[in-house]
Amino acid sequence: MEGFAMDKWTLLIAILLAAAAAVQGASYVRRGVRSPWTMAWMLLSFIAQLALLGMRGDLRGACPLGDTGEILIFSAWSLTMFYLLEGSVYRLSLLGVFTAPLVAFLLGLALIPGMMDPDPLRITHVDAWGEAHAAFSVLAYGALGLAAVTGVMFLLLNNRLKEGRMDNTLFKNLPPVRDLSRVVIRLLVLGFAILTLGLVCGLIMKTSGDVSKHLIVALCQWVAYAVLLIVEWRRGMPPRKLALAAVVLFVLSLLIFPLL
Amino acid sequence: MDLVCLGLNYETAPVEVREHFSVPAERLGEKAKEISSLSDITESVVISTCNRTEIYVATEEAECGTKTLNEYLANEHDAVEMQHLYQKSGDEARMHLFRLVCGLDSMVLGETEIFGQVKQAYKQALESGSTKGLLNKLFQKSFTVGKKIRTNTRIQMGQTSVGSVAVDLAEKIFGKLDGSHVMVIGAGEMSRQVAQSMLSRGASNVTVTNRTNERAIELAEELGGEAVPFDAWENTLAAADVIVSSTGASEPVLTAAQIEAVRRKRKFRPLFLIDIAVPRDIEPAVGDIEEVYLYDIDKLQQLAKEARFSRAEQVRICEELIKEEL
Repeated sequence: MEGFAMDKWTLLIAILLAAAAAVQGASYVRRGVRSPWTMAWMLLSFIAQLALLGMRGDLRGACPLGDTGEILIFSAWSLTMFYLLEGSVYRLSLLGVFTAPLVAFLLGLALIPGMMDPDPLRITHVDAWGEAHAAFSVLAYGALGLAAVTGVMFLLLNNRLKEGRMDNTLFKNLPPVRDLSRVVIRLLVLGFAILTLGLVCGLIMKTSGDVSKHLIVALCQWVAYAVLLIVEWRRGMPPRKLALAAVVLFVLSLLIFPLL
Repeated sequence: MDLVCLGLNYETAPVEVREHFSVPAERLGEKAKEISSLSDITESVVISTCNRTEIYVATEEAECGTKTLNEYLANEHDAVEMQHLYQKSGDEARMHLFRLVCGLDSMVLGETEIFGQVKQAYKQALESGSTKGLLNKLFQKSFTVGKKIRTNTRIQMGQTSVGSVAVDLAEKIFGKLDGSHVMVIGAGEMSRQVAQSMLSRGASNVTVTNRTNERAIELAEELGGEAVPFDAWENTLAAADVIVSSTGASEPVLTAAQIEAVRRKRKFRPLFLIDIAVPRDIEPAVGDIEEVYLYDIDKLQQLAKEARFSRAEQVRICEELIKEEL
């Protein structure tokens, strides 16, 4: 129980830090300037999420992906990690302001009672392929989630440009549409590569020969991303359609798995 | 102790007068030292840029200090030149310095270069020992106000002319314009200006086409680009990133069908179309194509007008903030 309380506090801290990044970032955007603190808040939230995953890993004696709450936390951690990598390398303006609410939302869902097992069973036998499958899949969610976030940014700016509305402070601070479009593609490729690794590990792990619903959905998801990337690579597609596809596929992926 | 400011700027004096009052950047400290050694003057800072020369002094009594400073300048400049000077004292001088540091007194409203130039002038004066309590406090306060204005307002944002709005939009679509291909249809003055703005921001390839080929060749040479015959310009459509059109044609010269035909070849790259012709050169349906951003002259003028309105509002906010700090 003491362990659970500690988890809960750490989760709460991670949520508050991500929420601070979102709220402060949005208030800076309203004032027409970029927040210098978003990345710092997100880094602190990332550290809190890492500490939380460490605690859950200790409790389980394995990779902390045993219940919905842990999957949500791992997804938020992965999303934050890709934001910190992408944001610091490419200095993509406002990416943090758009990522922070999603991170806070995912972590907030994990806080709902019943999402996280308060006293998880300690795993005695660890299947390395199973662990790798889960970890790669959730990491892929981070990259694909960030692609969706960037896609939303693209759609917002594209809409403003099409309508010829420059009066908004958001418009002034968003990165150019061409940069956003390139980042969407880069993150989709990265996410797809990691997803492929996860799927391969999952197929190796599967020894009974049964084809589960989970596997079918995972394969469908993989095929959908593969088709999207092949079409983009072979013939190209309008950036708006690509961004929209990145958002829709990610939302569908998020919605389908909990239903299984 | 009183504060006095004496100076001239681009609004009060032409360049031939400003250049006579100009002080080389490396001599600002020396000049400030010289002025602070005059009778009645205890402290001094000299600011000199291409648009202005201003002297700020601390004096026991404003009237005496102003007189001494005028006499000092009159030794080096004739009466006609002296007529271009303005003089301010007390709160008016304080307000003037704060507005200056914030870029509100600049030719390009809200520009940030002036902040560094004033800082440099103050640093030299400080190092030469020509500042003490009053000017140290005043200039440090002005830098705080300058930072506050830039953090809390949007004074430096937004373009106010059609050409600069077009360039701003191009940068919002492509980011850096390095390597972008600009195509000019119709060799009018407005197209020339817009194309030149694009080139100044990094666009490197220009293609010009015009019904009169000689005009196209002339403009292409001026812009450092290539002229193509009017009946063959469609072949370059696939390579273009920005198209500026201003012909006198009565029918559209660029249609949705023409763009549709090259979309695949362009791999759906963004295309920015600027139609500054009346009647319009580009079919409005072109704007419905997903990766195409079409702006006609009315839309560009509307954006420039909104930016001017926004600027005026920002100036009002800045001045309120400055008054609070006085």
